[in-house]
Amino acid sequence: MSALETKHLLGLRGVSRGDIRQILDTAKQFREILDRPVKKVPSLRGLTIVNLFFENSTRTRTSFELAEKRLSADTVNFASSNSSVQKGETLLDTLRNIEAMKIDVVVVRHKGTGVPKFLADNSRAIIVNAGDGAHEHPTQSLLDMFTIESKLGSMEGKRVTIVGDIRHSRVARSNAWGMTTMGAHVTFCGPATLLPRNREGFPDVTWESDVRRAVHDADAVIALRLQKERMEDSLLPSLREYRNFFGITHDVLESAKSSVLIMHPGPINRGVELDSEIADGPNSVILEQVTNGVAVRMSALYLLSGGRANE
Amino acid sequence: MNNFVFKNVRPFADGKFGSPVTMNVTDGKWVGETPEAALTVDARGAYAMPALFALGMDFKEPARDDVYTFRDGFRAMRLGGFSGGLYESPANPIDGIQKLSAVEQVFARSGLNMRPLGAISEAYDGKALAEMMELSEGGAVGFGDGNRDPGTPRFLRLALEYGAMTQKRFFFLPMNYSLRHGAQVHEGVVADTLGMKGSPRQAETIALFGLLELALWLKIPMHFKQITCAESLGLIVHARARGLDVTCDVDVHHLLFDENDLFGLDPNLNLHPPIRTSADREALWNGLESGAIQAVSANHTPVLRQDKEVNFEDAVPGAVSLETFLPAIWAELSKRVGDARAVELLSQAPARVAGTSAAEFAFGKASDFVLFDPSLETEVAGETFAGQVRNSPFLGRRLKGKILGSCIGGTWTSRG
Repeated sequence: MSALETKHLLGLRGVSRGDIRQILDTAKQFREILDRPVKKVPSLRGLTIVNLFFENSTRTRTSFELAEKRLSADTVNFASSNSSVQKGETLLDTLRNIEAMKIDVVVVRHKGTGVPKFLADNSRAIIVNAGDGAHEHPTQSLLDMFTIESKLGSMEGKRVTIVGDIRHSRVARSNAWGMTTMGAHVTFCGPATLLPRNREGFPDVTWESDVRRAVHDADAVIALRLQKERMEDSLLPSLREYRNFFGITHDVLESAKSSVLIMHPGPINRGVELDSEIADGPNSVILEQVTNGVAVRMSALYLLSGGRANE
Repeated sequence: MNNFVFKNVRPFADGKFGSPVTMNVTDGKWVGETPEAALTVDARGAYAMPALFALGMDFKEPARDDVYTFRDGFRAMRLGGFSGGLYESPANPIDGIQKLSAVEQVFARSGLNMRPLGAISEAYDGKALAEMMELSEGGAVGFGDGNRDPGTPRFLRLALEYGAMTQKRFFFLPMNYSLRHGAQVHEGVVADTLGMKGSPRQAETIALFGLLELALWLKIPMHFKQITCAESLGLIVHARARGLDVTCDVDVHHLLFDENDLFGLDPNLNLHPPIRTSADREALWNGLESGAIQAVSANHTPVLRQDKEVNFEDAVPGAVSLETFLPAIWAELSKRVGDARAVELLSQAPARVAGTSAAEFAFGKASDFVLFDPSLETEVAGETFAGQVRNSPFLGRRLKGKILGSCIGGTWTSRG
């Protein structure tokens, strides 16, 4: 089945350097295809993929759907808002019903940590995590790494600073695992209320509460989206103070390398975690991340399905 | 006029009050030569000691400038010999940079070393975090609860966790408001004899224990305002032994009164937190002697006459104390801890708690000092106090010791 050591893509924790290397290298080929007039290959023809999104998502779902279509897979979308889940069906029953329809791959997003793992434990299908709670979002990290490598070469020895709500971020966690596996150094920066306190379980990353110190030697800075709910939940006093102390602004970047890459998993709160002039500025690779996301997801789906492109 | 000659003063130096000398002061500096056109004051053997530093001051303006104003407060400070103080107003939480800038402008014009405490939550509501990072950069020396319920344990945890980034000290009046249940007096003999609701010591100790646990967990430097009982001191001493950076103060009134004084039902002794038993009072004195308590707080709380001229329980709690503070406490304090430690407890120690330095008082230096004669008496009357408030439990009494005046920032304020 899988052309990778891993059968599913549940997260990047524990995924080997070889697997990540293979996904990133294969993604390069798919990235080239995306620049062709005809952006479609027959690689996954005959395969059925369900996009099982229990949590609202536009860009990740669209990105997966495009990746699937460009690989010529048959795709179905399942959104919890109009599904049997609303009627009280259990997760296991939902899964069994989908499986009964002979699905090969399940791309799942859920607000609960561990849902992809649960599906993997209880299904014969290949499971791809499109984000579970604040746990992991492996394809986001893969596309982040792909974007950095496309600009700066290998991840090895690169310094990546991730700024924002680390405590509630699956992107931060996947990047910590993925990037350190690939030999990069990761720095987490955020207000104390948005940083995890118990850090022994994390890979070797640097923790910082001063954004200027955090960015000063970074090759890439990833700003995370700040959820407005964090204010209502008393984790922050105001968006204004957040922006003044943790926002990526022109001022802050004066402490950084002039070549630093500016990244964001989207959607951006302009003027909060990222100022408009930075988001749209020469260092920003945010839109390239979006394009690369399709290529990386094509690569992951293709390799997990056995790399049957030439069969 | 900024030139003064103070004759027959006994200046405090090297831990004691020296023999009578003449002090020449020009533009606030203690100089050698006699200045020209100087005002001469004969101190008749009075002490000259470093000006005091106040903890626990609320001047009410702007929200309640009908009660008391900054001008009244600054006047009271000079009358009482205070060159500086830590400012925290329950009526006017400094919860945003605009409010901080506004008070700092007022403070800058006062000629006094005023240090503002920021609020931990917006309007002290215990629900939304105040912009502590910005307040800290703007000059807030620490953060406080405004003597109000600081919110749920979860909110407190987040406030401390967030505020810890400022590396400033957090100030709390430990009080479990549910246990206090609106009581205005200690739950003891007086409350039960007179049929009033009582606030037990545990209203303080339970809140204190929770705060200390949070401080230990989140590594927060903390200060506890107006500790009232031995049990609290025990918790604080224990926490310090566990390595916590924790300080505390005691309200001057809690050293001078106990619940037996409440049988007279003087609304001016309705204080927050409440006065407790004579054993508690003795424990607080012991805490000062042993060093468990870092400073004596003025807890200066102006209350309008009409809000005190009611029955005890319906009176608004609080007492003004800046003007009477030194004569009220000096005799007993110096007897208990000696002159040197007494001066330290009233000036350097509270200034340290506020993260600043106390007034300097030395020959050849800009010196802020108070002239105080321990052998005279102060007759406390309405005109003793700045502004229109009179809510002092000492009103109509005689206190041992008298302030002749203060010389702060080169300005001489005479008490006549």
